Amino acid sequence: MDIFESSLNLEESHLREGYDEGYADGLISGKEEGQQVGLKTGFETGEELGFYRGCVGVWSSAIRADPNFMSARIQKTIKQMDELLQNYAILEPENEAVSDAMDALRLKFKVISASLNLKLEYKGYPKSSDAAGDIGF
Amino acid sequence: MKNSVDENFELNEVQTLEGHTDRVWSLAWKPAPGIDGVPAVLASCSGDRTVRIWEQSPATGCFQCKAVLEDTHTRTVRSCAWSPSGKFLATSSFDATTAIWEDAGGDFSCVATLEGHENEVKSVSWNASGSLLATCGRDKSVWIWEVLPHNEFECVSVLQGHTQDVKMVQWHPSVNILISCSYDNSIKVWAEDGDSDDWHCVQTLNQSNSGHTSTVWALSFNASGDKMVTCSDDLTIKIWGCDIIRMQSGDGYAPWMHISTLSGYHDRTIFSIHWSREGIICSGAADDAIRFFTESKDDLVDGPSYKLIYKKEKAHEMDINAVQWSSMENNRLASASDDGTIKIWEFISAPGKKMHL
Repeated sequence: MDIFESSLNLEESHLREGYDEGYADGLISGKEEGQQVGLKTGFETGEELGFYRGCVGVWSSAIRADPNFMSARIQKTIKQMDELLQNYAILEPENEAVSDAMDALRLKFKVISASLNLKLEYKGYPKSSDAAGDIGF
Repeated sequence: MKNSVDENFELNEVQTLEGHTDRVWSLAWKPAPGIDGVPAVLASCSGDRTVRIWEQSPATGCFQCKAVLEDTHTRTVRSCAWSPSGKFLATSSFDATTAIWEDAGGDFSCVATLEGHENEVKSVSWNASGSLLATCGRDKSVWIWEVLPHNEFECVSVLQGHTQDVKMVQWHPSVNILISCSYDNSIKVWAEDGDSDDWHCVQTLNQSNSGHTSTVWALSFNASGDKMVTCSDDLTIKIWGCDIIRMQSGDGYAPWMHISTLSGYHDRTIFSIHWSREGIICSGAADDAIRFFTESKDDLVDGPSYKLIYKKEKAHEMDINAVQWSSMENNRLASASDDGTIKIWEFISAPGKKMHL
């Protein structure tokens, strides 16, 4: 019975070999792709957060210079936005709350811009499709 | 098709107001001033980018166009609403802005422009005290603004929750809760947590709790605020009720419950609905007809039921976009249509014809 065992298990061993090879390849290409996606997402997230931090910084300076420039409500919203930025879990990529936090930041930004009558929009890093759309008459 | 009509009623066409050069989307009667001798005023807004103010002549009783608010909105004006004092008129447009006009004795000037929506604004509503304004639009959001001195408006909150175009917002007549209805088939109730500007959705009425199964186009409260009616592309009208005492006492939120669904009366989308002070519900639909419903006083087995009391077919040449009961005369109604006209009607019971079936 032993002489036939290896040939009987041939299909199974081939399957296992193929699977192991594929798995090993997958691990490598997965890591590469992951690194690229991570870099891209990280850059985009960082840029957006940086934009909001910059805005909050400018607004906070304006408030220090002249506290009457903005109403108590707008000042409160700016403080809330600042807190959201401080608490954003930058170093926790698998923290699912980050997308809610980003939505909350975008919403606060909208409320503050509308109240201050600012026609300011976060447009993100220019994409090639945007450049093509810039040509208008 | 249910066509049972009560032969006690009549709908008489009083006047047709012409002037707009595109479809008329919405109407708003100026609130009753509370003093006698002041003529009735109606505002209308249109795809022709203007808003027209119509005033009834005390001498002839005819409505005349007293003002045309133009050169401000750059696209269709979709909705208009008077502040409770009648001093301001808010107009919302597809140009993504809401303009606030001040009425200085017949002369209107734009005193503020609210920007923020990303695209077409569909509806605007003032709360009962005139201290807050709400707008909603195709960007799926509802914005709440506070009215400050010197014609300043400040954004209080941007409410997200609807997953599609929000068609209408209406403030409750006595409590500061806001109700919105949408292309996403749901109705949402928004309330403030304490006094902190923290507005959030406290209830959603959708298919899972007897809600509509298609776009909800409009909603209207009854005079006492303990009921509301909604109309939809699903060809039904739904009545909802709440515990108004509990709601007004501030003892937590009292949810809205489904009371009745009126189906089989419309075979086209119902675009507009308005509940009169006397309890008559008027609907305007895509089949160019106006219908009137009221609570049935017959055996209340499972709670109140409603019946059709009158139907006016071909009230207009095209789709009816808005119906509004007058703020001053109980039997007066205005309707607006895609045909570019506004019609003033008188809805009366024909005396001496009482028939009991």
